[in-house]
Amino acid sequence: MQKTFMLKGRCIVEGKAEGYALVTKDCISFMGTVSPKTGQIIERKHEIEGEYLKDRILVFPQSKGSTGGSYMLYDVVKNGVGPKAIINRAAESVVTIGAIVSDLPMVDQIDINQIKTGDYLKVDATAGTVEVTREE
Amino acid sequence: MRLTKEEQKMLNGEYGATVQKCMKVLVKLGEIYGAECMVEVKSVHSPGVSYRVAGDAGLGYVVDASADAKFKIPCTLNTIGIDEDAWKEIGFDEYFASQQIKLSDAYKKMGAIPCNTCTPYLVGSIPMQGEHVAWGESSAIAFVNSVLGARTNREGGPTALAAAVCGRVPKYGLHLDENRKGTCHIDVQVPLNSDKDYAALGYFVGSVVGQGVPVITGVKERPSIDNFKTLGAAAASAGAVALYHVVGFTPEAPTYEAVVNIELETVVFGQDEYDKVCSKFAQKGDIDFVVIGCPHASILEIEAVAKLLANKKIKTGFWICTARQTKSLADRMGYTKKLTDAGVEIICDTCPVLCQTLTQRNYKTIATNSGKMAHYAPGLWHLQPVLLTLEECVKVALEGKWED
Repeated sequence: MQKTFMLKGRCIVEGKAEGYALVTKDCISFMGTVSPKTGQIIERKHEIEGEYLKDRILVFPQSKGSTGGSYMLYDVVKNGVGPKAIINRAAESVVTIGAIVSDLPMVDQIDINQIKTGDYLKVDATAGTVEVTREE
Repeated sequence: MRLTKEEQKMLNGEYGATVQKCMKVLVKLGEIYGAECMVEVKSVHSPGVSYRVAGDAGLGYVVDASADAKFKIPCTLNTIGIDEDAWKEIGFDEYFASQQIKLSDAYKKMGAIPCNTCTPYLVGSIPMQGEHVAWGESSAIAFVNSVLGARTNREGGPTALAAAVCGRVPKYGLHLDENRKGTCHIDVQVPLNSDKDYAALGYFVGSVVGQGVPVITGVKERPSIDNFKTLGAAAASAGAVALYHVVGFTPEAPTYEAVVNIELETVVFGQDEYDKVCSKFAQKGDIDFVVIGCPHASILEIEAVAKLLANKKIKTGFWICTARQTKSLADRMGYTKKLTDAGVEIICDTCPVLCQTLTQRNYKTIATNSGKMAHYAPGLWHLQPVLLTLEECVKVALEGKWED
């Protein structure tokens, strides 16, 4: 059975992307949580430690930690191992500016509890919408 | 957004392509966060200055900007990825160092003040209460907002660059009175006697409040500058804390009521909470690396280590990371010699969080008095951490092990 529903949030960076969701309830610092070379989650005991960001839609509450995270998000994207889009509960300034300079579609004010890892997402960041498709 | 004539000129490209690009970024941010106008800022502290952080993408971004832009206001530089003077002796990789030097040169070309420290407030950049600034470096942001009462949001590298080039940031967030009020009450019910205690409190606060503004009560004695430095750094690592109030001690919080205008949830920081933080950073047995100076050590911290290590030899690797100005002072006071004789390396301009891994040293475990270092060390350096007091860290260095 397939279930599809729509979530509405706010546009942070325009653009469209689709792919499988990688969801965490933990906050992320792109300096410290993520390897910029491989796009792997390296923060010990992070909920999604060991996962890779490449080609996924990254869903997390907000950024935390180092302000170096903006350039590190830019670097991970430029290195071709970054996510296709970012969905946040509340866009914090460090990841916001990183997404702006990376031209990475980003939406916030989304109830991220509604999304599970493995859901297929169609993000229309310009419209601020996320279409969630789940196999059940 | 309402822009002044001058800001409109910047946006229209009358001051060149980089100014225009920077202003576009600032306007975009302002629109996202609902700013009505820009605010002029008096200083910038730029993060993303380490090549480890900027990467090739950030390096390109900054080098491009330096082609035609100059900083309009004082811009200090955060910690970089090498000791600029002694990188060869310490053993930093040559390619990494050459990329770092390119990055630093691009910032210097635009007029940056290359203090290369996460504690610019210890070496001369001291924003005053109520002053609007645009600072990066999570620990320094927490310090200037909370301890000095200046006003900044958490600025990432590109925003700090834009602010330095345009002299402005969008007026939202912590630039506005209403957003500087408390959002969570932390009641401290354990005595705070050491740097470790403040690190543990900070880590707890960051984990609990995320992006909010914690109001801390129950602190009995005035914390030192070093205590505040440690507290804010840990809070800004575990969470995104840019401003906290310690009732009775930080400038905006003479009383609880001064910073709280709604009913807040109270979270207790008692012995259980303290122990839980410590259990996260509790490596035992052989320890091969000790780090003091995250954020960069003050002269008083260097003095404390130097006195404990006078005429002794250590068994571990030991870095004291500090600003170069502070090291000059340590040189003059005879501490550098005492520490070097004992086997300590005084590292300037960089730190283990922001430098490239010295893999050839093969360290596995780390003792530190920094909640921030303890937080980042396992992921970035594959080092298993133990969080200790400065005195305990010295003991570890002398014995090569930690047994509680």
